[in-house]
Formats: sequence, structure tokens, C-alpha cells
Amino acid sequence: MSASDFLILNHVSKVYRRNQSLLKRLKKNESGGTKAVSDVSLTVRHGETMGLVGESGCGKSTLARLVSGLMAPTSGEISFPPNASGNKPRLQMIFQDPYSSLNGRWTIEDIIAEPIRVHKLRQGRAAIRARVDQLLVQVGLSAADAEKYPQEFSGGQRQRICIARALAGEPDFLVLDEPTSALDVSVQAQILNLLRDLQKNLHLTSLFITHNLSVVRIMADRIGVMYLGELVEEATSDELFHKPRHPYTRLLIDAAPDMDTSDRSLHPIAGELPNPAFPPSGCRFHTRCPFAQDICRNTSPPQKATESGGMFRCHFDLDLSNATVFPQAAQARTA
Amino acid sequence: MINAATPLLDVRDLTVTINRDGRLVTALDKVSFFVNPGEVLGIVGESGAGKSITGAAIIDLLVPPLKRTGGTITLAGERLDQLSPKAMRGVRGGKIGFVFQDPMTSLNPVITIGQQLCDTIQAHLRLGGSLTKKRALDWLDRVGLPNPDVQFKRYPHQLSGGMRQRVVIALALCADPALVIADEPTTALDVSVQAHILELLRDLHRESNVSMMLITHDLGVIAKMADRVAVLYAGRVAEIGPAGELFNAPKHPYTRGLIRATPMPSATGEMRLDQIPGAMPGLGAVPPGCAFNPRCFRAEGDCRATIPPLYHEESSAFSCFHPLERVTA
Repeated sequence: MSASDFLILNHVSKVYRRNQSLLKRLKKNESGGTKAVSDVSLTVRHGETMGLVGESGCGKSTLARLVSGLMAPTSGEISFPPNASGNKPRLQMIFQDPYSSLNGRWTIEDIIAEPIRVHKLRQGRAAIRARVDQLLVQVGLSAADAEKYPQEFSGGQRQRICIARALAGEPDFLVLDEPTSALDVSVQAQILNLLRDLQKNLHLTSLFITHNLSVVRIMADRIGVMYLGELVEEATSDELFHKPRHPYTRLLIDAAPDMDTSDRSLHPIAGELPNPAFPPSGCRFHTRCPFAQDICRNTSPPQKATESGGMFRCHFDLDLSNATVFPQAAQARTA
Repeated sequence: MINAATPLLDVRDLTVTINRDGRLVTALDKVSFFVNPGEVLGIVGESGAGKSITGAAIIDLLVPPLKRTGGTITLAGERLDQLSPKAMRGVRGGKIGFVFQDPMTSLNPVITIGQQLCDTIQAHLRLGGSLTKKRALDWLDRVGLPNPDVQFKRYPHQLSGGMRQRVVIALALCADPALVIADEPTTALDVSVQAHILELLRDLHRESNVSMMLITHDLGVIAKMADRVAVLYAGRVAEIGPAGELFNAPKHPYTRGLIRATPMPSATGEMRLDQIPGAMPGLGAVPPGCAFNPRCFRAEGDCRATIPPLYHEESSAFSCFHPLERVTA
């Protein structure tokens, strides 16, 4: 552990249990339940943006909830090492859907002032109002908007209000769970640029969760790739895209269609996402991996560190820097 | 018409209005485009641009208070806009297949997928019982469902999202339509599954040479699938052109703005993200003149006063008084 570590996740797991009978609960029966997050270890350093990507059901949103303390992990621990002044860092979250995350009966002023009041960051009505106005301007709205209600705003503007509310708590750490997935492209670009500027100016540390690789590439310094609850690879943004080490990362990068109209090939990943409640044995990706061998089906791959401080979970050291030179890649129709 | 071939689908001045407490608000404003036989026309735009309304208006599935109030729709010489509701039922699913965004809500949850396929085939092709079943099984196989005999008896909830969308595609194509309208067919799916479905659509398109209208907000999907692209903005056509031309040298400032606002790695791997200021005007709040003028960096006095007409070039058309030069784009 170094002084620059901000958040440490140590073998964190979360199991969602199905409804069990009292007897079974008393017996502390460990079987059953969906392991949404499985043995994830991760370190976020001061001032950096850590990105998390993965498809639906990979546990990225569960991890966000665990980190923000909305849920307790089943095993493992999440710790924020105290900083120089000995204070615990303040944390705020920004959610995906700006329609359901704002209370429609509160004015924008009430919404943004709530974290200020809760944390007693300003005293007196006038000071709080001044701070709300300042925050609204900071996120690209105007002070006059404080009197309005959420339904008077568009999706992009609502997300700006959510950002202002998060900043009102003067956080050291921001957890962003798919903050732009519900927005249109042109508005998404505005919000991403706003977030990028705020992160730079306010020196925020953040965890940025999304399913969109291009978005995370723009926003994050380091990126973790999740598959069925496991962190399969983690590296700096540059390295992950230029020299991915895990086959899933490579396939995920290629699967998203780009805007090149001269090369119109598509690169689907063979098979379908298995049910997260019953993950495959051994390496969880072996059912879809073009490199899978017998060892992958039986033994769970070890966590390997890379020279540059990243990590990946694969039995083999594959060179995946060039796209799509895969054996049996033609088997794509099995899905 | 500029194109020598007779278009399969010809939509001219399609206008859709919405009645809001007696006040008529225009949702689609004189949208014109055509689809050639065997062609994939991509329709792209942000939410509220009118892409889905365009698709629904063609097969007369507009939900009140939306109403088609003008324009002509011609499919292979037949005026769809003048057909009776009964005749229109034969067109839907027969001559025009439709793939909706959400595969869960477009399938009937209490009927097996095999029965749903048989019903559709029976309604449009009037084959005998055994032939119908054979054709349904054949289609399940063609869309890539393993063990069609087993799948035939399954219900939608027993299938994964990708599988369900394959069934919806089979339903859209099983009656040999001339045109398929796919409205955001992959938006509800994960990236890895999306590529499968796109590949399937492309394979089936090549095999059957059916024409396709692909409606999506995802420029990446458009770039890979469409022959020509129509860009919609606030219920109007901003630009139409061949996909390569449109992506590499857009003429309308909105098209270029949309392309540059999409986070995508460029050829050099460098990321850039240029935002368009403001937001698309809501229904009934479209500014006078060009709908894009408040957000446009090239806007001048004429853009605020008059709606720019669609200027036709060889293969493309755009609606802008101050189009971008081909070289600067």
C-alpha cells in the first residue's frame, strides 16, 4: 500500500441470495445465490479516474454500490486509507437515469441544497442559495433555474443538475454509474466534456462505470474490464487499447462497430453471455474464447501482473495487439 | 427522380402532426426519401428527431394523437397511404416486415414462438399446415437458433435477449416481404450480441435481396450496415447520401457535428470529442428557419428566416444554405 492509494478493494465478493427458508438461513448454507461480484481486488489512486467496463450482468453496477456503501460486501473489504489530515473522504454518486434520480416535487434549489445542509457545508439561507447558484453556473445552467422543478428540464440538463448535486457535497470521490447512457450523442459529448473539465479543475478521484468502451477511453486513466463478476484485466487506458492481454478485452474492443465505412466487417464474440447465476467452470470466458484449451475449462486462471502495473486473468501470455487474427473465429453463429 | 432505377419505396412530403389540446404540432415535416430494391437505407438521428415516427407512419402504425396529415407513400407502385385499414393489414408483415427495438414486448408471451411464426406465415402466405410448419422450422434454423424442433415449442421468456431478437427477425422475414423496417434492432442488446444480430441481418439481406430501412441512433451501426443514409433532425431531413460520402465528407453542419460528437477512436487512435451546443428543440418548439440554426456555427440571417429546401446533387441531398465544403470535412 502506497501513500497515493485512495481506495483499496481487497478480494471483494457480493452474493445475491435467493429467498431461503428460515431453516436454511439458520444453517448458514453457503450454496445458492448469484455471485454478482467475485473476488475483485482493485486500487484507485489519488486524483485518477478509474474506468470499469463490461456487458450487462458483469457486476459493474453492483461494484459501484459496494464502493459507495449502499450495500455491504459478502466477503472481502473496501477501505479508504485516511489522508494526511486524517479525514475520511466524502463520496457522491451520479446515476444513469436523470429522470428517476431527481425528486419531482422538489425545486432544483432544494435538490442541490440538500447535501450542503446534510454535511453542514454552508450556514444560513443566503450562503446556501449563493452556493447553489454558483454550482448551477459551474455545470452550465443559470442561477434562475434554481426556482424550477426537474420536469422542466431535458435529459441532458437533468444530468447537469445531478452533477451539481453531487458537487454540492464537496466530494473527494465521485462514483459515476453509466452517467451518459440515457443521453443522446450530442448531449453525451457535452456532459463528458463537462465531467472532464470538473475532474481536472477540482482534482476529483472517480470511479467511472459504463458499457461503452469509447466513452471510458476518453474519461479514464486506468480501466478495469469485468466479465461475469470477475475483473479479467486492468491496465492504463493507453495500454488496454493498444496491447490488451485478455482475449475478452480484445474481442470487446473489436465488437463495437466504428465509423469506418471502407471496412464494413463485423466482429461478434462467439456464443452468448452465460447466466451470471451459473458461471462456467474454470475460466469464466472459456465458453466464448477462441483460444480456450482444456486447462481453461478446468482451472480458474491465476491473476498475473504486467510490467506496467496492470493485471490480467488468463492462462496464456497472448499477443493481442493486432485485431482479429483468431483461430476458429468463423464459429460466430452459435449464439 | 435523380436515380435511374425505380425506387421500391418512395416517400414524398410525409407529414405527421400531433394534436395537443386542439393545437396541431408538426412531428414530421415534409420528409422525402426513397429506398431502391435491395438497398439498405440507414435512418439516423437523436431521440425526438422523428426516426421511429417515420417507420411507424409507413406501415400506418402511428399511435394517436399522432396522425399522418400529408404526403405520399408508394411501395412498388402501390399507394400505401390510400389503402383501407383492412388492406393495410395485409401489407404489414406481408409486404413490409418490421423489427422492433425490444424483443420482449414484440413477442406474445403466452404463445410459443413456433406458433407465432406459423400464424404469421399462415396469414400472409396461405400454405397448408405441414408446409407452414416446415417453413417455420426452416426460418428458426436460418436465423441461427440451435435445435429448431426444440425451440419451436418454447416461449419467449425461455430465450435470451439475442435469441428473442432472432425470432423477431424470423417473424419479419418469414412472409417474404419486399421491405424490412428495422427500428433500433440492436439497441437493447449488449455489444457482443449486437454484432451477431447485425451479421444475421446482413446475411439474410444478401440471401433474399430484401430492401431494408435501418433506423438507429448509433452511427457505428449505420457505418457498417447502410448503403445510403438519411440524417433526420427535428422532424426534417437534414442530409441524405451514400454512406461513405456522408461519413467522410458531410455537407450539413449537423451531420458533421453528430459524427464528431460520437466518441470513437480515429484512425490514429486519438480520441476527440466535439460537442454540439444546446439540445434538439422539442415538439412544437422548432425555431423558425432551419431547425438547426440555434446550434449551428455557420448560421446566418437567411437560416433564421426561411427553411432551407433540400438541394439535390448527383446521389445526395442536403438541406442547408451554407453547406460544408467537401474538402474541409
